[in-house]
Order: sequence, then C-alpha cells, then structure tokens
Amino acid sequence: MAQDYTEWLAINVLNDQQLVSYRSLSRALKVHSNLAKQMLFDFHRKQNAKKPGTVHATYLITGTKRKATPITDGTQSQEHGEDTVMQSSPLLPSSSAAKPEEEDVDTILLQTVMLVKEEHLEKAQVTFESITGMHIYSLQANGLGDIQALTECNRKIAVDYASEDPLEIWKQYGTIQNPNVKRRTQRRQPPPPAPAPAKDAAPKAKLVSTTSKPAVLKKEGSKDSQDSKPASKPTSAKATPEPSKKPPMNKRQGSDIFKSFAKGKTKAQAAQESQESVVSTPKAAPEDEPMGGFSDEDEADEVEAAVVEDDSTVVNGKSKKDREAELQAMMNQEDEVMEDAAEDSPEIAEPDADEGAIDKPDSQAADEPKETVQVENGRIRGRRRVMRKKTVKDEDGYLVTKEEAAWESFSEDEPAPKKIKVPPTTSMNKPAAAAAGKKSAKPGQGNIMSFFSKK
Amino acid sequence: MAFSNGAESLLSPPRDEEHLVLDRTPSSYNPLLTFNLAKGEKKHYQQQYADMYFARLAQLKPAVEQIAGDAWEDFEVAGETVSKVERVLDVRQGQLCWVVGTIYMEMPLKPNILDDITKDHWIVAPPPRVKFISPSGGDQVMLEDESGRLRLTGSFLPSILLVTGCIVAVLGTENANGDFEVLDLKVPDLPRQPERWERDDGEAALNSKAVKQERTQAGKIAVVSGLGISGDAGDALTLDMLMEYLLGESTSPKDQEQAARISRLIIAGNSLASASPIPGREEAAAKKSGHRKYGYDSSAYNAAPTGHLDVLLSTLLPSIPITLLPGESDPTQTTLPQQPIHPAMFSHSRAYMTLPEQEETGWFDSVTNPWEGDVDGWRLLGTGGQPVDDVFKYVEGDDRLEMMEAMLRWRLCAPTAPDTLFSYPFQDGDPFVIADCPHVYFVGNQPRFDTTVVEGPTGQSVRMIAVPKFRQTGELVLLDAETLEAEVVRFEVFGGD
Repeated sequence: MAQDYTEWLAINVLNDQQLVSYRSLSRALKVHSNLAKQMLFDFHRKQNAKKPGTVHATYLITGTKRKATPITDGTQSQEHGEDTVMQSSPLLPSSSAAKPEEEDVDTILLQTVMLVKEEHLEKAQVTFESITGMHIYSLQANGLGDIQALTECNRKIAVDYASEDPLEIWKQYGTIQNPNVKRRTQRRQPPPPAPAPAKDAAPKAKLVSTTSKPAVLKKEGSKDSQDSKPASKPTSAKATPEPSKKPPMNKRQGSDIFKSFAKGKTKAQAAQESQESVVSTPKAAPEDEPMGGFSDEDEADEVEAAVVEDDSTVVNGKSKKDREAELQAMMNQEDEVMEDAAEDSPEIAEPDADEGAIDKPDSQAADEPKETVQVENGRIRGRRRVMRKKTVKDEDGYLVTKEEAAWESFSEDEPAPKKIKVPPTTSMNKPAAAAAGKKSAKPGQGNIMSFFSKK
Repeated sequence: MAFSNGAESLLSPPRDEEHLVLDRTPSSYNPLLTFNLAKGEKKHYQQQYADMYFARLAQLKPAVEQIAGDAWEDFEVAGETVSKVERVLDVRQGQLCWVVGTIYMEMPLKPNILDDITKDHWIVAPPPRVKFISPSGGDQVMLEDESGRLRLTGSFLPSILLVTGCIVAVLGTENANGDFEVLDLKVPDLPRQPERWERDDGEAALNSKAVKQERTQAGKIAVVSGLGISGDAGDALTLDMLMEYLLGESTSPKDQEQAARISRLIIAGNSLASASPIPGREEAAAKKSGHRKYGYDSSAYNAAPTGHLDVLLSTLLPSIPITLLPGESDPTQTTLPQQPIHPAMFSHSRAYMTLPEQEETGWFDSVTNPWEGDVDGWRLLGTGGQPVDDVFKYVEGDDRLEMMEAMLRWRLCAPTAPDTLFSYPFQDGDPFVIADCPHVYFVGNQPRFDTTVVEGPTGQSVRMIAVPKFRQTGELVLLDAETLEAEVVRFEVFGGD
C-alpha cells in the first residue's frame, strides 16, 4: 500500500498537474481521511527532499487564535468564563453605547479553523495562541494561484463518486457515522449531476431520465432533443418571461412532450407554443396579483408534483396508451377547429378556464374506452365521463358553445389534482389539435402560419 | 503558540495505526407545528389584519393585568390611589389610572402606501430607510384597544423600548391636551417555562409508555445562518470547510471527536443568496424578454445555487440530521410565517425527508420560520432574523440582544407583524404570541455573534443567541445541549500578508 499512494500521487500531482486534496485521495484509494492526510504529508516531504519546491501544500490549522479579533472584549481563556446574567428589569434603556462592565466577564470559546497556503504557514501559526490540530489539506505541483480553486476538488468528488451510497461506503473514508439515519428509497432517481452545468443539460437530463420508462418513448428520445432546438427558435420571440412559473411548468412540459407526441416535430413545437400562450396570458393580469396567484398555484402544482412523483409510473403507463390511441384517431380525422384554438386561447385569463376552448379536440378523440376505476394507494382513480363546454367557430364565423361529453382522469383524494390535471390535459390536447391541423390544412398554407404568428 | 498533544499526529507518514470511525451523538428531536399554515385552498386571505391585534390583546391581556395589578395595587401619588380602567376611552382627565392596550407607533418615515404612488409620479423613489425614527421627534406613541386610541406622552417613554404591536399596561393620567402622561409601564414578561423533557415525557405518559429515566448524554447543537449560496464562487471554500468539519473528515483526531459530539445542525435562514426575486414593476417593464428555451428564460432563473445547496445538504445528511429554516432570501413566501421550503427544491436530499402523508418527522426537516421545537428536551424558538431586523428599524441603537430580550418579555416573537412586517392574516389567534418560554432563543442572520442569558420572574432562564451570517463571518455556533452554553467555530482562509 505504501507504493500505491506514492505512485498515485506522482501521477496525479506531478504528471497531470492536478490539485489533490486529502478527500480526493481518500476516495480514490478508498482509505480513511486521516490516513490520506498522512499520505499527503509523506509524499510532500519525500518529493521536496528530492527536489525542493516541486510540490506545494496547503495546510489546515485548528486552534485558538490570539486576541486579535475577539468575539467580546473578554480575555482569551480556554475555560468558559461566567456569562453575565441580565438583570430582570422589564425594559432596558435603549442606549446604543456598549456596556463595558458586562463584556469583561463574558468569554466565549472561539475556535478557528484556518486554511493557509504553504508559504504563509509560519505567519499563520504565529496568529494562533494554541493549535489543536494541523494537517495537510491539499497538494499541487505548482503554486496555488487562487486558493478558491480548492473548491474544485470537492466538486469533482461530488460528481465522480455520486453513485456511491453514502450510508454504506462513506464509513471507510472516516466520515462520522450516524446509526439513526432515516432514508427512504425513491422511485424516481434524482437527475444525474451534470459535469458542465449548462442549462440545456439540466432539462435534457430530465428528459433523458424520463425516457427510461416505457419503451415506446425511447426511440423518440433523441428525436425530441433535436426537436426542442428548432422549437425554441420560434418561441424566442414570444411573451415576457415569468421566472417563478417556469420551473414547475418546465418539468411538466418535459414529461408532457413525451407523453403526448407520437410523431412529427410540430407537436413538440406546438406544445411549447401552447405552454407559452397559456403562460403569457396570466402575465397580462395586474402586477400585484401574481404574488398571491403564484403561491397558490405553485403550491397546488407542487402538491401535485409530489403526488405525481410517487405514482407517476403507473399513471403514465396507462394514460399514455390512451393518449396515443387518441392521437392516432385524430390523425385520421378532418380538423376544422384548429383556428379556434389559436383565437380562443389569448382570451382566456387563467389557465383554469382553458378547459372550455382547448378541450374541444377531446371530443374528437372518439375512441376513449370505457369508464374505468382503479383503487391504488388508497386512492380511487380512473377515467370517467364529464360534461364539458366547447366553443366552436361556425363557417359563418359565429362562436357556438356546445356541451359535449369528454373523458378525464380523476383521483378521489384531493380537489387539487382535479384542478391541476387540467393544464396537463390542455397542453396534451393542443399538440394533438395542432398536429391534426397541420395534416389537414396542408393545402391552405396561410392557415398554419396564422396559428403560429398569433403567439 | 503552543501545540496541543496529538496536534501534529497527522503531520507524519502513514503508520500502521488504526484510524477510528466515530459515531455521532444521537439527537432527540420533537418539533412543534405552531407556525404551519393550511395548504392550498384552505388558506384564506380574505380576512382583515385587525383580527390579529384583537386576538393578541385577548391572549396577553390577562397576563399583563396580573402583573400590573400586583405591582400597582397600593400605588399612590399625592394621596390619590390608582384605579384600573377597563377600556382606553374610559380614561378621565385628571384621574390616576392604569389601562392595558396595544402600542401603536405613529412614524412618518414608516413604509407607506403613498410612497408607491409617489413612485408612479416621480421617477426617483425615496430611498429605503434604515430606521423609521424621525429626527425631529415626529414620532408618536399611542395606546390602542377595541374601543379607541390614546396618545401617550411623558418623559418616561423615551427610556423604554417600544414598537407597534406590544401589549402593555400603562399607569398615568390624562393631561389637559388629552394625552396620557405615562408614569410607569408594565409588560407581560416571560411566560411559563416548561421543564426539560416535559413534552416528551408528557407524550410518553399519555401513550402509557414507561417514562424513560435513562437518557444518553446530549451532544451539541450546531446553528448556522446566512450561508448565502449564490451561483458565483465567492465563499464556496468556507462552505466546504464547514462541510468537512461537520463530517469529521477534516482537522485532527481530537477535533474530530469534538465534531462527533455535534448531534444536529440547524440552518437558520438565508441559505440562498437570492430566490429568483420577482422583479419590481419598473424592472419588469424595462427588461426585455430573454431568450426562452424549454419554456423558461434561463437568464432570469439560475438553478445552480439551489443545486449547490442540495449537494451540500445531501453530503451532510448521511452523517447529521438537519433542520432547515427559511429566511428572507429563500424560495418560500415573504410573509411570515414562512412555510417550509418545498422538497422539490432538494432532488438529492429529498430521500431523507418524509412524504407529506407520513406522520413522523424526517431526518432532514424543512421547517417554518419562525420555528419552535424540542431538541434534546430543551424548547428551542428560532427565527431567520426578519422580526429582529424589523424591530431594529423602530428603535435607536444597535443592540440586537436587547431587542431579543424585549421581544421575549413582550411575549411576541414578531411584534411588528402585521404593521411593517408582512404576515398572514390570522383570524383565530396570534401564533406569534410566545405561549411557552423557550430555553433557547436563536435568531439568524445578525451582523455579529452575541449571546447571553435572560432571567424571568418565576425562575425562567433563556439562552439567547444572535447567529451571524456565515457568508460574511464564517462562524458556526455550537450550543452545548447539557449546559446550554455557546461557543463559536470560525472558518477562514488566511489572507496572506
């Protein structure tokens, strides 16, 4: 083992010119952190004995400093002094002057943990009154320019060793163990840590992770990531952003894109459009409203997100098949209401009211099967018939409102899911409508462009 | 400079010694849900804020009356004995009396809705003020209850700490101007303090379980606040040092043993530097929409700080349980009581939290601000700093501990809510009234570390701690759970000079 670490350090510090901290060494060689610190010391001494100045170190000193920067104006003693007990006067005079008679008696134990470069070691040691511990923190081949670069070591550890289970593996590194840790297993894995935190990577990672589910989606995975790029161009010129609404919308949008599209990039495009238009219209509401509105909706959204997360695998599988069947049926049909979707959506003030206009393609999905009810996790959920109002533009240009039956999935636990399931269904239906629209309106090129340009 | 024994044991080549893996002291934890609000649609904002004041007065009036009655029973001035008056408007001119009411401070420099209107008409808005105190004495102090308002004067007033919202009893008489001249003033003072382990023993007794007499020695509670994680590099190194210290990986074996005694970490607010703030009216109009990709504008929202916080927490959680309070700059509401930061923000640390429907508390507890709970038997009350910062604006001086003590004696952890501190309009009762005196009262995000012990009339004793901002000071407060004494560990990087 003595040879391993010398070799490893020689390769990483001298050859690769990397910054190696005791933590990186302990993870790489699977040894206790204290042993790693000793290894670093040994290597540092030997290398500098051979050729001075080849390896530079940073040290971590722990101890009590001299009375340069006192916490209170008390004496710097190791024992705890008496704490003053404030007199029990009901109200104190509100003077801003310090109370000198009390501060003499107060002594607070102050320990300092200081990171210092090799060249400043002597000076740093002088500032300490007593040192309880000192060890090497890291080694590097050349001098360390910016000491903040040391954060890179921990960042790399977090990325490289993310797959290790801390409760099992970290014992060998010397981390303080806690026998009472409670952790639950998650069904959905957290998004993998992206090494280059490009913001594209984050949603892509999420999109990629959701494709690990039903096999049908796998072949669409690569396609959608390309689709999103051209889709983003038309959306760039769209409405003003709403930062606080983006994260929950983004996540749902990511999963909806997968759920809803069978083929064709316009669906993904139109999904983005519809989300944008839905999102842009609330912004038109007065400035003061978003404060209350966001918190309620986001809260409700997030409650749903928590609910959806746990049961997502089951729900996704079932309704995805239904929706795929729906879309197939829609492909084969004439569509006359695509323009209506475009015109009606700007009128709508809140996403909740969207169900009127945007749900009309729902009626065309004639092959919704039977009403099903399932009991899962103590909740009753399934599909049922619901009466919905559809507003349709006649050939004379009249708006006609009809009541039609539609299918929706429901869950009996909270009223919130019913409210929240509406935006997903609306965004799901819009791409369906747009896809059907494109197919049928191919001869009429002008109709398509009017649909997009409205947003 | 003296080296302790064993300090240099790590400055030696590897020997064949056994490196111990330490076990952390367990933490006994039993939080209260005093400040949790109903979720979703059950939370209403239709009610008026005045109900909060009435509820507060109703809750605290008995206590103040008792104290005032005891103190002023035989009080005499110039042969006239004092009498109690029920309502503020019943005070008669020339009559020596005492009355209970709510203090209201009329300060022209307080934030005013008219300032917003000024902003519409003039380009330059008045700058935000550090303190609301008017220089020329334009401030007035009034006493108010359900019946009416009474202006207070007298030379006694400037010597006391008063803010809007505290319930007091004043002794004095009405003068010719119609103002009440104050001779003396009484506050509710500290409420009853429960015994250590009282709640845990009580619950065990209710469940007919044998009350545990044997309890292991409690460790230390680490309190930190103001981590201030933003996307830029800045102080990431001190955060790393904090993390390694708490994990027991850095420092010498002796220090690691000390670190192993830390049983719980409490983060008291402002873990993130900014929570994607909602832009003001002018900024939103001026800013043109950024490039929107995947449905959100990346330039307006930066996910890196939350990710960094999540990684930090998930690295610490396998070893130490954490209680996280939100603060002013954290992604939760701005009104008090701030609700727990949602688990959705913590994709890795989420595994250590309990699901919403589970009854038990999680290893990683995301809690409200302010927060009350039992740790190792002691009752802790803590906030992220907003109430104290708001009281600071009302009074002269800078002594945060004094303000904290005053808040304890007023029995209000957020006295200025809802006047200048945004708050939820509580209808049935005011949860900001401190019902049980805590053993430890900590406030985060203060400019400096400060601590002292406050005593109460019936033997209560409270350890008050002002926790400094970690981003600026690098200080971590360690509270010994057996002796309730505080010590500080400071992390720093040598400047080199």
